[in-house]
Amino acid sequence: MAEVVFKDIVKSFGSFTAVHGLNLTIAEGEFVSLLGPSGCGKTTTLRMLAGLDFPTSGSISIGNRVVNDVAPGERDIAMVFQSYALYPHMTVYDNIAYPLKKRGVRKADRAPMVQKTADLLQLTELLRRKPRQLSGGQQQRVALGRALVRDPKVFLLDEPLSNLDAKLRGYMRVELVELHRRLGRTMVYVTHDQLEAMTMSDRIAVMEGGKLQQFAPPNEVYREPANRFVAGFIGTPAMNLIDGTLANEAGAWRFASPGITLTCPPLTDDAVSGPACLGVRPEDVLLGEGPIRGQVQVVEQTGHENIVVVKIADGIRLTGRAGADHVWRPGETIQCAVDVSKAHVFAAGPSGQRLNRPLTKDQPRLAKEGA
Amino acid sequence: MSTVRRTPLERQYALIGSLLIAPTVLIFCAVIVYPLVSAVYLSLFQVFTPTLEGSWVGLENYRTLLGKNEFWSSLWTNIVWTVGTLTLQIICGVGMALVLHQNIWFRSIARSLILFPYFVSTVVAVLVWKWVFNDLYGILNHLMIVAGLIDFPVDYLGSMPNAMISVILVGAWKYFPFVVIAVLARLQTIPDALYEAARIDGAGPIASFWDVTLPQLREVLVVIIMLRAIWDFKEFDLIYLLTGGGPVTSTQTLPLLVYKEAFKLNQMGMASAYAVVMMAIMLVFMVIYIRRTRSEDDT
Ligand SMILES: Nc1ncnc2c1ncn2[C@@H]1O[C@H](COP(=O)(O)OP(=O)(O)O)[C@@H](O)[C@H]1O
Ligand SMILES: [Mg+2]
Repeated sequence: MAEVVFKDIVKSFGSFTAVHGLNLTIAEGEFVSLLGPSGCGKTTTLRMLAGLDFPTSGSISIGNRVVNDVAPGERDIAMVFQSYALYPHMTVYDNIAYPLKKRGVRKADRAPMVQKTADLLQLTELLRRKPRQLSGGQQQRVALGRALVRDPKVFLLDEPLSNLDAKLRGYMRVELVELHRRLGRTMVYVTHDQLEAMTMSDRIAVMEGGKLQQFAPPNEVYREPANRFVAGFIGTPAMNLIDGTLANEAGAWRFASPGITLTCPPLTDDAVSGPACLGVRPEDVLLGEGPIRGQVQVVEQTGHENIVVVKIADGIRLTGRAGADHVWRPGETIQCAVDVSKAHVFAAGPSGQRLNRPLTKDQPRLAKEGA
Repeated sequence: MSTVRRTPLERQYALIGSLLIAPTVLIFCAVIVYPLVSAVYLSLFQVFTPTLEGSWVGLENYRTLLGKNEFWSSLWTNIVWTVGTLTLQIICGVGMALVLHQNIWFRSIARSLILFPYFVSTVVAVLVWKWVFNDLYGILNHLMIVAGLIDFPVDYLGSMPNAMISVILVGAWKYFPFVVIAVLARLQTIPDALYEAARIDGAGPIASFWDVTLPQLREVLVVIIMLRAIWDFKEFDLIYLLTGGGPVTSTQTLPLLVYKEAFKLNQMGMASAYAVVMMAIMLVFMVIYIRRTRSEDDT
């Protein structure tokens, strides 16, 4: 069993609290990403799990064993550092063999283990080299090798891909997912890159300001963000978040803001009349026809699509995605609509809760509506 | 290279460049090249120091020197002193640097205080140490008698091997701060992540010293040892002031011998020959040092 449980974890540095009462249970064999903006406490959380930092209060357990007082070397974890932290004077072989050596594995037994790891990561040709003679991607693989070689219960990775170029990053993402599938080990992966978290994880723990915002599988985080922060953080281009007011008209909730009025999708009982926020993903904005009238402000061409920013009222903009074939011109007047069935409604405030009823499988798709 | 035609602008830059380095080159010639050449020149004469007049003897000075017992014994003394004091400097320096690298509350004060022996003038330092070591009224003898370690005062500077040990100790005390500062500077650049990786890999404090700290210190230690070896080898004032080379000649190193020949025996030619030989010996260190730094640049 290698279930990882954070229970009421608080971490303070002097008067500053970096992690506020974190509760998180990571299942055995799961790939979990800690995702959040820089400074939100991801690294601190990971370091507490590694035993490099100590929680101010709360307990951490790995496989039913509370590890608060267990030294890092005895937690049966391995960590890949953002800077790789390879021993510069040792060869690749010695780097990978080091954790085995320190655990008293005999020299003769080490060789086949290192060889196997090197084969897995395509490092066989490089075993005699020193770290400084390797490219960033190769160093990254050596760091992975050092973690893999002794088959720990839990792998901890702190932004391991952030020093690689975009192409290599894409390649390593696939490699890591493949590795996780093959090893079936628990992996805790820290990143600020939502693309990495979305593509690799079984579940994502979204953090902000030292607090856990949502812990759910990627598609759920995307489709049912728990609150306004998660909604705005996940997805590029970001979700349109429009402040307005909510009012109950004959049993149906209506949302109104300058330029947009619509009937909301089914809301929970927490919904109250008053200020609220409407969230619409750019792909749920339909450009070209519909009741909302606006003016094209900016068009970003990415090659395979165009991202169109439409001004629908003073200070209110809608970002939509359109196919690459139709080029909208800035200044042009445009009609658009919102796919209400996929719209989100959040309570007022920067981290207002999502008020939509949970999605059911066969929820009827509502017609386009607006204005 | 010479076939490349220079544009007027390039020629102008070259001219400005030459003008800018000219003062340095002139000063370098005046203070380094001239004394060097004149030392070699003087070593070929028999010269009377006060008048600086003498007659050409060719390599006679060198022949005499190599056959002289005093030269070989001074060379040996020089090596004993250099190796002894350098070893102590390195051990104490590295040890102290490791202590000061820890997160202890008096760290910042200690880091400044540690520099004290290095900053204090040699004359002042030697006066204090002479008082400490004095066999009649020295505090060291007093304390050791009070503590019951010895029954009679020990002559620390006037007998062997005490004199050599004292000189080596004072040398180590005076120069170990240099090692502390250089090693400390290097220690601070070792990334924390390396120590953390070692902890996760299962290394304890001792293993992480051997496997992380020491390998990182290796290069800076080579440089420190080379520099300090050169500086200790030619050390004059500390030994001269502390023992004057005595008792008799037992702590007389080559620099003291050069001084004696030049200003006590008034044999400037002979002294120059000693100095040239000393320089040749130090050249060996220099070459190793330069090779070492160059090979670091290459990798
Ligand atoms: N050793 C420390 N001392 C004081 N503050 C720290 C320390 N380590 C981290 N912090 C603070 O804790 C917060 C979270 O840091 P961290 O976990 O590194 O964030 P990230 O999510 O970017 O990895 C940051 O505001 C950081 O400044
Ligand atoms: Mg971080």
